[in-house]
Amino acid sequence: MEDHLQNLYEVLSKVEGYVYPNEIELNWSILIVLYPYITGLVAGAFILASLERIFKVRILKPTYGIALLTAFSFMLVATMPLVSHLGKPLRAYEIMITPHSSSAMAIFGFVYLWYLMVVLFLEIWFDYRRDMVIWANETTGVKRFLYKLLSLWTTDISPKAVALDDRIGYIVTVIGVPSAFLLHGYVGFIFGSIKANPWWSTVLMPVIFLFSAMVSGIALVMLIYIVLTKIRKQLLDMDCLDTIAKYLFYILIIDFTLEGLDQIHRIYVAEESFEALHKLVFGKLFYTLFIYQGLFGTIVPLLTLGTLQFYKPKAQIRRVIYMILPLLVLMGIFFMRWNVVIGGQLFSKSFYGYTTFKTGLIGTEGYLMAATWLIIPFIILSFLFWLLPPWKKIETSHE
Amino acid sequence: MPQHIKRLIGVFAVFILLFLVMRQVLKPSSFGELGHFRARAIYENTLRPMHYTVADSCTRCHKAIRKDKDSGFHKKLKCEVCHGPGLKHSLYADQFKNKELPDSLILYKPGERKDCTLCHQINAARVKILFDTINNTMVHQVDVMSHNLDDPKAKDAPKCIECHNPHQP
Amino acid sequence: MNEQTKDLSRREFFKAGTVLAGGVAIASSLAPYDGLLFAAESPGAKGKWYGIGIDINRCIGCGRCANACKLENNVPKDRFYFRSWVEQYTIKNDGSILVESPNGGIDGFKQSVPDKEIFKSFFVPKMCNHCAKSPCTQVCPVGATFETEEGIVLVDENYCIGCRYCVQACPYGCRYIHPEKGTVDKCTLCFHRLKKGLQPACFEICPTEARIFGDLNDPGSKINYFLKNHTCMVVKPHLNTGSKLFYNALSPEIR
Repeated sequence: MEDHLQNLYEVLSKVEGYVYPNEIELNWSILIVLYPYITGLVAGAFILASLERIFKVRILKPTYGIALLTAFSFMLVATMPLVSHLGKPLRAYEIMITPHSSSAMAIFGFVYLWYLMVVLFLEIWFDYRRDMVIWANETTGVKRFLYKLLSLWTTDISPKAVALDDRIGYIVTVIGVPSAFLLHGYVGFIFGSIKANPWWSTVLMPVIFLFSAMVSGIALVMLIYIVLTKIRKQLLDMDCLDTIAKYLFYILIIDFTLEGLDQIHRIYVAEESFEALHKLVFGKLFYTLFIYQGLFGTIVPLLTLGTLQFYKPKAQIRRVIYMILPLLVLMGIFFMRWNVVIGGQLFSKSFYGYTTFKTGLIGTEGYLMAATWLIIPFIILSFLFWLLPPWKKIETSHE
Repeated sequence: MPQHIKRLIGVFAVFILLFLVMRQVLKPSSFGELGHFRARAIYENTLRPMHYTVADSCTRCHKAIRKDKDSGFHKKLKCEVCHGPGLKHSLYADQFKNKELPDSLILYKPGERKDCTLCHQINAARVKILFDTINNTMVHQVDVMSHNLDDPKAKDAPKCIECHNPHQP
Repeated sequence: MNEQTKDLSRREFFKAGTVLAGGVAIASSLAPYDGLLFAAESPGAKGKWYGIGIDINRCIGCGRCANACKLENNVPKDRFYFRSWVEQYTIKNDGSILVESPNGGIDGFKQSVPDKEIFKSFFVPKMCNHCAKSPCTQVCPVGATFETEEGIVLVDENYCIGCRYCVQACPYGCRYIHPEKGTVDKCTLCFHRLKKGLQPACFEICPTEARIFGDLNDPGSKINYFLKNHTCMVVKPHLNTGSKLFYNALSPEIR
């Protein structure tokens, strides 16, 4: 409590102009920046997987299993930043018991459960069931038990059953694509529907969130594929990587266009809040918006990827580029979330002043907590790669 | 239906059933009666303790002061504006008629210059016009902290109440 | 794929589809759509419908209302949590606007700009507007904030999960999170006093009768008299919040 007050007095000393007294303290901190980031990675990774499964982009096959497992690991963690940020986390179940139908946030419980259990879990289950049954017979001990448990002690791996699994998995993926849009679109709607906040309130917000999610998910899978393949000391499939880079390029263009459109419209229309937002963007958000998100997170990747479409340097050089680019993009999208969430709270709703963001290293809303929620998915993913290695799967019939 | 589909549906059915049961158990009983909220919360909001009372409850004992106040400029001021929340005092103080009042029942008696600046400090935003000719409710403004400091009686900036009776200014 | 497999797949597909549809039907019955976008129905002639009036021409910025509110409602004493506060606006001759609210006005105000630079200056008390179409009620994910049928927006602090969505949605900055309880708090129009027939503390205490409060459905009430005899406006009318806090002499600088 004392620390908390100390923090607040420090923030107060840095307040510029006038903010409503209740606005001195920022309400949504780094954990709420993380939540859209993580669900964005989930939705994006899933869309990459669906490119292979539904849209039959066969070149992406090496990344299909990786994308699914990545989406699943991050989805398991997605709810944690939200729950740990609540003032009363033990009451979090209320959102499932009495969701308020007029509140976008109330959908969270059901969309999350639906996506986790029906889309991700079922798709992985139908894709891996035959392999789990086979691996159960080849292993012993804990691993065998896990395979038996996860396959629900079934044993039928006849071609008929496998074809059925494949068909149902396909249907689940088809349903999964609009579900992915819903999963991340509603997050954008949560911000876009707040008429009180002109930095958030725009029709484009759900669409911007969705496309930046796809960008971040694709970049993440690209990175994990490269790192994983190097750890396994295998050869990288450059065609696959080149295709991923192509899709990343296209979607990044759309994302950049949408965000650019939002800002151009804001500048042109210049509503009541314009002067206050202008000062915000060129002041407190200058580095995070123009340099981290804009220059390094968007412009540099766009130029690089664009050049790669016309001029392909040697595989060695492309490998290096494909390791650095996803990192830049991931950083850029993180700062996009930062600029939306934190940026939207830095200016007063009276448009007369600005407050500051301050958090510590430790504490429930500190940097360490945020880092933890980002690291845990990778630990889960490593476990999943051990249990359900995509490269060991028997050739599946969805060829 | 293949064995594995049956088992899968079974697992999901169990979970959904569990969820429905938990929902019935955990949903608060008064929820939804009047709208999408716990109807009992309306009652719970009435349970807060009060701290302020009304001016007439002070008059019950302090009749003379009330009479003074009613004939002066401060007649529209409620007692608690200056003296703070008085509910507890009005309820229990008369038990201590000939004894000392415990600390919790003693009300603040303003009189320091800083207390009177709240209303009377000259400030460009403070109302200057006579907006109510019937009641003459213009507030007199001075620079309270340096008001009449050269007056021999005002050595070392004493309290306003030494020259001005707050109940009959 | 031979005919046999195709038929089986189609059958399985329909079965799976029915299960899915059934699941969706169950899921939608779990969250009944009540279609209410706004907090409460429009008043109509029945029952009380509370409204608030503040006369900026009368406010002298003594801050007793903000002080009384904190004392009456056990609001944390620190200067980051207010249910009600007072702002001082100073419009200078060069057109620039200075707004101040030192500790919400509880310790009084100092004039920070010399007289000769001032074009206009006034005090504006702020509090929850008890909106008829309140955005805060609309966004609460669990139903922990609601509007009573008399038009008062209340918080259920035993149900609030502290997600802070309502704090973000309020255009007037009236809500805050209680630092110890972790739940949201805001002006309740001293509901506990209203039920005993008393006025809210800030209205009771105002020395210049700058605050008026009453039943909008009662044609003879003080608030209706106030509305009829003054030109009243609400803050941020373009947001269509149905604010029931009517200011007399509201200037365009006030937000």
